[in-house]
Amino acid sequence: MLKFLRRLAGHVVRGLVMIWIVTTFTFVLVRLMPGDPVQTQYETLLSKGMSPDQAKAQVAVTYGFVPHGSFWSQYGHYLWQLLHFDLGRSVRAQGVSVTTEVLSTAKWTIGLVLAGTLLSFLFGVVLGVVAAMRRNSHLGNGLSIVGSLLHGVPQYVMALILVTFLTVKFKLFSTGPVDGLLEPGFNGPYIASIVAHAVLPAVAFALSSFGGYLLSMKSSVVSVLGDDFILASELRGIRPSIIFRYVARNAILPLFTVLALSLGFMVGGAVFIENAFNYPGMGAMLVASIGQRDYSEMSGAFLLITMAVIIANICADMLYTVIDPRVRRGEGA
Amino acid sequence: MSTTVEVPVANPVVPARRTRFLANLWKVLRRKPSRMVGAFIVALFVALGIIGPWLYPENLPKSADLLAGPSLSHLLGTDFEGADVLAELIVGSRYVLTAAAVAALVTVVVGVAVGLYAGYRRGRPDSALMRITDFVLTIPGFPLLLVLTTVWKFESALQMGLVLGLTGWGGLARSVRSQTLSLRERGFVEAARGLGLSTPHVVTRELLPNIAPYVAMNLLIGVTTFIYSQVGLFYLGVLPYNSTNWGVMIQLAVNNGVTQTGAGLSYLMAPLIAILLLTLGVVLLVDAMDEVFNPRLRED
Repeated sequence: MLKFLRRLAGHVVRGLVMIWIVTTFTFVLVRLMPGDPVQTQYETLLSKGMSPDQAKAQVAVTYGFVPHGSFWSQYGHYLWQLLHFDLGRSVRAQGVSVTTEVLSTAKWTIGLVLAGTLLSFLFGVVLGVVAAMRRNSHLGNGLSIVGSLLHGVPQYVMALILVTFLTVKFKLFSTGPVDGLLEPGFNGPYIASIVAHAVLPAVAFALSSFGGYLLSMKSSVVSVLGDDFILASELRGIRPSIIFRYVARNAILPLFTVLALSLGFMVGGAVFIENAFNYPGMGAMLVASIGQRDYSEMSGAFLLITMAVIIANICADMLYTVIDPRVRRGEGA
Repeated sequence: MSTTVEVPVANPVVPARRTRFLANLWKVLRRKPSRMVGAFIVALFVALGIIGPWLYPENLPKSADLLAGPSLSHLLGTDFEGADVLAELIVGSRYVLTAAAVAALVTVVVGVAVGLYAGYRRGRPDSALMRITDFVLTIPGFPLLLVLTTVWKFESALQMGLVLGLTGWGGLARSVRSQTLSLRERGFVEAARGLGLSTPHVVTRELLPNIAPYVAMNLLIGVTTFIYSQVGLFYLGVLPYNSTNWGVMIQLAVNNGVTQTGAGLSYLMAPLIAILLLTLGVVLLVDAMDEVFNPRLRED
C-alpha cells in the first residue's frame, strides 16, 4: 500500500511539473504574440475613455497580469492567480471567468471520450480475439487489414462521412449536444436527448480508434496462445471455454498500456469530433477561442486538455499496477 | 537466437545488399496482389505530388457550374468557385506529401538520435532524455499544434513538416531506445566492443542496420499520422488559405454548407477519400515490408 502511495505521489509531482511547464509555455506564447494582445486591449480601453488605472485593472482581470511591468513581475502575478484557480476572464463571453467557461465544456468532452473509448475498447478486444483465433483464414486477414486501415483513418474523415450521410442525407441523427428546446435538468426527455445526440459522435470515435486495440489484442492473443501453459491445459483436457478465459486474462494486460497511450490521442481527436458534430466540448472551445483571438480562454482550454491527459495517464498507470500482480511483485523485488 | 540469422558484422559489399533488398521486396510484393495494389497506390500519390502541379495552370480555370456533381468534363465535380475538384486534389497533394515527408525526416533524425544515444549510454543521460520524451508524448500533440498556429502560420510545407516532426518524435525515440537496450546485450555487439571498435563504429555499423527496418516501418505509418494532423489543422480553419491542399478543400467544403445541404458532396468527399486511399496504400505496403524485414514471417 505504501509503495502504491509512493508511486502515486511520484506521478502527481511529475504531473504538477508538467502543468507548470505548460502554463509557462502559454504565458510566454501570449506575451510574445505578434501585436501583443495584452497591450492591444489596454490601448482599446484607453481609447474608449477609461483612465489608465481602470484599464490596467481591467486587463489584469482578463489575462491575470498587468499590461506594464517586467516579465518576471507579470509571470509572478500570473502564477499567483493560477494557484487560486483563476485563469483570467474570457474576452469572447463578456467577462465570464475562464475557469467556469472551461469547466462547463469539460463534462461534454469527458463523457464523449469515455463513451468512445469504452466502445472502441470493446470492439477492438472482441474482434482482436477473433482475428487471432482465425489468423490463417480470410476472416482473420481481413480483420487485420481493416484494423490497420481504420487505425490510420483520422477522426475527422470518419466524423464528416457520418455527419454527411446520417444527419443530412438520411436524417437519422442530429448534431449538437442536446435538443435545445428541452428544459435542462434531471428529467427523462432531456437525458434521453443527450444520449441520442451522443450516439453518433461516440460511434465516430469508436470507428476511428478500435483498430489500434484490435491489432494489439491480436498480437497479444497470438503470443499467449503459444505459451506452454496453454498447451499444458489443452493436454490436461480442460474445457475450451476455460482455456479461453486463461488466454483472455493474460492477453488483455498489454492492452491497458495501449489504452493509456491512446487517451491523449483521444482527447486530441475530440477537437475534430466536437467540431464536426457541433458539440460544445473543450476541443471546440480551443478552436473557437483561437479563431476569435481570445487568448486567455485559449490558455485555459489548453491547460485543461493537458490536465485531462495527465490525469488519464496517472489513472491508467495505477490501474495497471492494481490489475497486474507481476508489476506489483516487480516493485517489491 | 539460433533460428534467426542476425547480420553479424556489417557487410562491406553494400551495393550487393541493396540489390538483394530490392529483389526481396519485389518477391514479397508479388506474393499477394493486395501488396501490389498498396505499392501502386503509394507510387501513384508520390508521382502526383511530384508532377501534379505542373499539369495545371497556376490559377485553375473556373466554370459557371458551382458545387456541381461528377460529370464527364469534371470527373469529381466542381468546388464553390466552379474550379475542377480533381485538379485541386492533384495540385494539393504536393503540399500534403512534402510536409509529411519533411516531418518524417525530422522524426527519424531526432527520434533515432535520442533513442540510440539514450539506449546505448544508459544511466543519467538515458533517464534525462526519457523524461523529455515522456513530456513530448504526454502533451496532447494536436491541441499543441493548434495553440502554435496563433504565432506561426506555417506558410510553407517545409515549416509545417518541421513543426509536425519536432512535436512527433516521442514514440519513435521510445521504441528505438528499447530496441537498442536489447540489441546492445547481444553477442555480436559485445564482440564488436571486445574487439576494441570505436563507439561510432558500433553504433552506426552494428546497431543502426539492425534498427533500420523497424524505423522504416514506423516511418511509413508515421507519414499517415502527419498527413492526418496537417490536413486537420487546415480543416479546422485556424490557418490561412494561401496554399492549395486537401485540408483547405475540406474546410471550404464544410464552410460552404456541404455537410448541411449535401450539395457538392464530391467536393467534400474527394479529399476524404484521397486520405483513405493513401492510408490503405500505406497499410498494404507495410504488410509487405513486415515480411521483407522479418524473416520469421516468410512462408518459404
